[in-house]
Amino acid sequence: MRALVIDDSRAMRRIVGNILKDFGYEVREAGDGQQALDALREGKAEGWVPDLCCIDWNMPVMDGLQFVMAVRANPHFRQVTLMMVTTESETGQIVKALAAGAHEYLIKPFTADALRDKLALLGLLPEEVSA
Amino acid sequence: MTLQEAQSITALLDQETVQSIADEIWPALVGDGEAFVPVPVAPPAEVVSAWVTISGPWDGAVVLTCAPATAEALAESVLMTRPPTVVDDEDVADALGELANVLGGNIKSVLPGPSSLGLPQIGSAPTTGRLDDVCRVNGQWRGQSLTITVQGATPALHPSGTEVPQ
Repeated sequence: MRALVIDDSRAMRRIVGNILKDFGYEVREAGDGQQALDALREGKAEGWVPDLCCIDWNMPVMDGLQFVMAVRANPHFRQVTLMMVTTESETGQIVKALAAGAHEYLIKPFTADALRDKLALLGLLPEEVSA
Repeated sequence: MTLQEAQSITALLDQETVQSIADEIWPALVGDGEAFVPVPVAPPAEVVSAWVTISGPWDGAVVLTCAPATAEALAESVLMTRPPTVVDDEDVADALGELANVLGGNIKSVLPGPSSLGLPQIGSAPTTGRLDDVCRVNGQWRGQSLTITVQGATPALHPSGTEVPQ
């Protein structure tokens, strides 16, 4: 499984990335939505398309919601699962992200178990981890 | 201006709520078994702050303040670094900023909305506005002073804002 972790905080990228690596994921990182779009395009050119994107909401240059809309507008990335991982916890924000095309929503702070549960719901937990 | 817009933070939030939010954040972000203890200790001579602004029916900032050495220790804990790896200034700013960001996001969720959250900033804490528009929890982490302040905006924080009661 492959994941792209998108967050302007290096610390948060490391935390999310380490949890995903423990679950067996191969992880790449991006510091904002635009970098993530570039990473998707470059990845596709080399045959690396992520199964999952973990996306922060508030980022400079391009925020998480704009990234979700951009990915959903591109048919090449239709199979990529998008999960918001953010401090934005107002119901209106969650509805907006899901309406834009995000599949799941995880509110910071979270535990490794909470992320694991979300991945299980999405069918993105490698079998050896779910066992 | 509506009555809600004129409310001070102390009418919207209490110290127990701030503490309960910190209680969730510390183990998840700083590390297993870590806690923000709401027992004040002597404040340090030199401090650094990280904050995020909240803009909406209530305008202000959530500020995390501690000594530079405490900020460095927090960064080491958040980033789970082990010797000989050392954190640099950018790591410290990033980790302290992310703590302020998560604190701010969770505090925003208990305030009247809709509101928007600014990006984390680091440096000298913004000046506080009205004295009754401040909710502060003085505490400690690993015995070192740490303060969480939720403070109303001043014109310096939101130069174009018109909703801040004077």
